[in-house]
Amino acid sequence: MEKTVRLNADQREDLVAYLDGELPDEEVQQIDHIIARSEVARHEVEALARTWEMLDVLPAAKASDDFASKTMTNLKVMEAPFILEDQWWYPYLRRTGVICGWLLCLGLSGWLGFQITRYWVPNPHDQLLNDLPVIENLDQYQDVREIEFLNLLKQSSVFDDVQEK
Amino acid sequence: MALTTTPPADVDESGFLHDPEVQLMLRVKQGDDEAFTTLVKTYQDRLATIFFHMTQNQEAAEDLAQDVFMRIYRARNGYQPTARFSTWLFRIANNLAINSHRNKARRKEVPLPAGETTSVSGVRPESQVLADKSALMPTRQIDKHELQLVVQKAIEQLNERQRLTVLLHKFEGMSYSEIAETMEMTVPAVKSILSRARDTLRTALEPYMQMGK
Repeated sequence: MEKTVRLNADQREDLVAYLDGELPDEEVQQIDHIIARSEVARHEVEALARTWEMLDVLPAAKASDDFASKTMTNLKVMEAPFILEDQWWYPYLRRTGVICGWLLCLGLSGWLGFQITRYWVPNPHDQLLNDLPVIENLDQYQDVREIEFLNLLKQSSVFDDVQEK
Repeated sequence: MALTTTPPADVDESGFLHDPEVQLMLRVKQGDDEAFTTLVKTYQDRLATIFFHMTQNQEAAEDLAQDVFMRIYRARNGYQPTARFSTWLFRIANNLAINSHRNKARRKEVPLPAGETTSVSGVRPESQVLADKSALMPTRQIDKHELQLVVQKAIEQLNERQRLTVLLHKFEGMSYSEIAETMEMTVPAVKSILSRARDTLRTALEPYMQMGK
């Protein structure tokens, strides 16, 4: 037996596929040939096969007994239609909505009341405010005395040059 | 309800209709929840096993398994039998495992050593001590429980993709082409991944090979 017969990189990669029965016949024969001639190659194959067997000790996990029922329940919850009234927060939302509604009504009534009052009840200061420009210039208006005099002054064109300047 | 229901009219004749689980899924599509319970019961332990060996945590494994079923149930209305049911299910499981790993990495969680998990199926803090003891004295006789821990530690050395490939091959008995379809890879990629994974495992387990016999 030739201990020195070595596997090349590709053949080493093929060894696992060889063990798994995933190689085409031609390549299987090549590997068989190498294994028959090389103790090193045979050791390699045996080590890989033994490694694979050792994985048998790994435990198979078991889902908890209620896994299926829990999963189905979760699916039902996930699929359940959304009903607003069934939500835990709905009563709070409703109460808040009612309070906000009342506050809005109250504000609206106040504003409406204010507008109505302002429209229907006359403000005694309104007349005074309207007359303010006259009041401010009252002294000058009194000095003029008669409006006819102002009209004559305007027609005489005495102040035209002043305006142009 | 009988297993052999007529497939819905919108489903073309495909090679997968003879799969009984595809038939069950078609019944789920038609609104049969009992059929879905049957599927859950069929796959719950198998998924739990795969996820347990991915996460080393029984609770996380069950959560992930439940997530898989949730996704399948949500997708039932658009279900078309374009592959074996198991292929579809494990593809979803693969995506979930990858997402879960990414999220974990994003949160920068420090993975608990196997001995600190809350697993039901046997990994306890004292077991970690045993595993370490075995690692220090590989030539002494070790029992099956210790060997189990040693193998679990070896599996943990694999990256996510290698681990899932090994688990699907070992526990689900999937062929390379089935794994390729499930994990959306080519067959040569599966071959390469399995080869590297088993080389890593061999290196880790070689000292214990004689003891396990």
